[in-house]
Amino acid sequence: MKQVDRFFRRYILSTLGIIILFFVVNLALIGLSLLTAHLNGVKDPGFPIEHFASLIEKKDDIITADSEVQDILTQTDTWAMLLDDNGTVIWQNNLPKELPLEYSATDIAIFSKWYLDDYPVKVWKHPDGLLVIGFQPGTRVRYYFSIETDYISIAIWGIICALIINICVMVMLFIRNTRKVEIAMRPIMDGIHKLSQGQAFHLEEKGGLAEINTGLNRAGAYLIKKDNTRAEWIRGISHDIRTPLSVILGYSSEIEDTPDLPAATRKQAGIIRKQSEKLRSLVADLNLTTKLEYSMQPIRIQALNPFELARQVISEFLNSGVPEIYILDYSGIDSDTVKPIYGDVYLLNRMLHNLIQNSITHNPKGCQISVYTKTDNGTCIFCVTDSGCGIKESYLALLNNGTSIPSSQEGTDETEHGLGLKIVRQIVKVHQGAIQFSNVLPHGLKVEIHLPELIL
Amino acid sequence: MKDKSILIVDDESDLLEMLQSIFERAGYTKIATSSSGKEALSMFRNHQPDMIILDVMMPGIDGLTVLKEVRKISTVPVLMLTARGEADDRFSGFENGADDYLVKPFLPKELLLRVQAILNRSYPEKERIVYLDASTVDLDKAEVQRGNEKLSLTAKEFMLFEKLFENAGKIVTTGSLCETVCGEFWEGYENTLVTHIRHLREKIESNPSKPVSLLNVKGIGYCLHLKEAKP
Repeated sequence: MKQVDRFFRRYILSTLGIIILFFVVNLALIGLSLLTAHLNGVKDPGFPIEHFASLIEKKDDIITADSEVQDILTQTDTWAMLLDDNGTVIWQNNLPKELPLEYSATDIAIFSKWYLDDYPVKVWKHPDGLLVIGFQPGTRVRYYFSIETDYISIAIWGIICALIINICVMVMLFIRNTRKVEIAMRPIMDGIHKLSQGQAFHLEEKGGLAEINTGLNRAGAYLIKKDNTRAEWIRGISHDIRTPLSVILGYSSEIEDTPDLPAATRKQAGIIRKQSEKLRSLVADLNLTTKLEYSMQPIRIQALNPFELARQVISEFLNSGVPEIYILDYSGIDSDTVKPIYGDVYLLNRMLHNLIQNSITHNPKGCQISVYTKTDNGTCIFCVTDSGCGIKESYLALLNNGTSIPSSQEGTDETEHGLGLKIVRQIVKVHQGAIQFSNVLPHGLKVEIHLPELIL
Repeated sequence: MKDKSILIVDDESDLLEMLQSIFERAGYTKIATSSSGKEALSMFRNHQPDMIILDVMMPGIDGLTVLKEVRKISTVPVLMLTARGEADDRFSGFENGADDYLVKPFLPKELLLRVQAILNRSYPEKERIVYLDASTVDLDKAEVQRGNEKLSLTAKEFMLFEKLFENAGKIVTTGSLCETVCGEFWEGYENTLVTHIRHLREKIESNPSKPVSLLNVKGIGYCLHLKEAKP
């Protein structure tokens, strides 16, 4: 479940990142536009009053205006007048007729803050007086603000504080909501995790996600029931087949070993015995592979000596009377400082047994089988190499990809798949190890298994 | 050992018949059979067999219950037969006092060898003399007779020899031999084992440099070969 924790942590961090990025980008944009306005000398983006003022000049006591003045006034549908220090209009353009040509100080004070006969105006200090630009009524809104310095200082700090508090509250609410989602999702994630492991689970069917929990409970119960039914069926079949197989093995061996019987009968009994032994092996393999697949095989992890394990397996083969056409040898680093590895003795024994048996089964003309064990840098290596016929490159690629191959190299679609290597792969997986198949020169197969000394 | 009485208990009549046939062909003369736990307990109380071969899963009183009842009054060797090969089942059998455990299906030879080994352990011959190519070893006295020479075995040499003798003709791994003399924590004892083996060879072989009885299987362990025909 570490991945789920990581997911939620990343989710929270990425959202915080988005909020911070949002503010930074906005501040940058505001700053950029202010900078652009400053660099362009724009005071009022609606009317270029400063530029307009520069187009009106006094020459020889006569006020003259550039031709551009008329263009600007026409484009902006405005009028303009220039008042001297006495409030008298000394220049005008497009001035509405109803407006007077004389203004008192009171008039000027009022219209500079509010309106001039409903005309919103802008004023600008000109070297020869006061330039007044008038807009059409209803096109502009004017407000007059007058706030005490102390008040504006408190207000600015208040706005900053409010902004910070807003951000904090937003982040807190977001984290709280995410945590709530995480708490609600955790049992579901646990359930899915257990489902993937084939373990039983039950989620409480209440709350906002009750429908999902109910669905998961049903899916889990269904899958576990299906797995159990299958495993029980295989176990039952294998159990029921064992006693009849004992009788077949017993009588066929007895007939085979009775010298008074005809040679042909004894030979046939021998064939029955050999086939029964194959069945016995198949039943055992089927049982084990099913239990490993459905996590029903109890794994007993204990410290063990990998060199002694390999010696035990080889001695079992030699003691059981392996035919002389097979030469079994073993090499390993026997030192006083052998570090134990941690694993299930029974399963690891079975793993090596299956690999050696695989070499024997697929090389009926005999071969040399070499087993090698090594511990190196926290890893234990088991290597089984034979000098047999090897394996096709196409099958080798399949094996290394974890795909089953036909048990016979001349296999057809009907050929039965062997369970030996499948079990080996399952055991390696249980021990968190890796397996590698390769051909050896001039011919033969090499299987190398790397197991961690410590299983987490 | 063939005169020891053996009680075979299994609810499968075909299997019971086959087992009886196997033992009789192998030379055992006192074979009794029972097809239920209840009958088996009754036969055990009345006849006191030297060994019991007991199926685990039987209707009525099962094999483990029979074993528990037997263990209340006797230490007779018991070999359990079962159609279930799970480790927990094996542990359960051993915990209740079984001497060995054999999973069905099995080869008759395997069963006979196990029974033979159990009987040898449980009823050792009065005179335990081991005949080797160049010497004889008296296990009771821990003494080697080589020609006219009598040599005593040290405690560790004796333990090693006894282990090899119990598995005569089979390879015993280095680890197993080390465990025999050192116990569970034997790592690092391999070199000392070589020294003990050399000393043992000096006592039982005529030419320790070219041993014929106690042979080394390279990288795996050692194997003790007995003299084929006793004098």
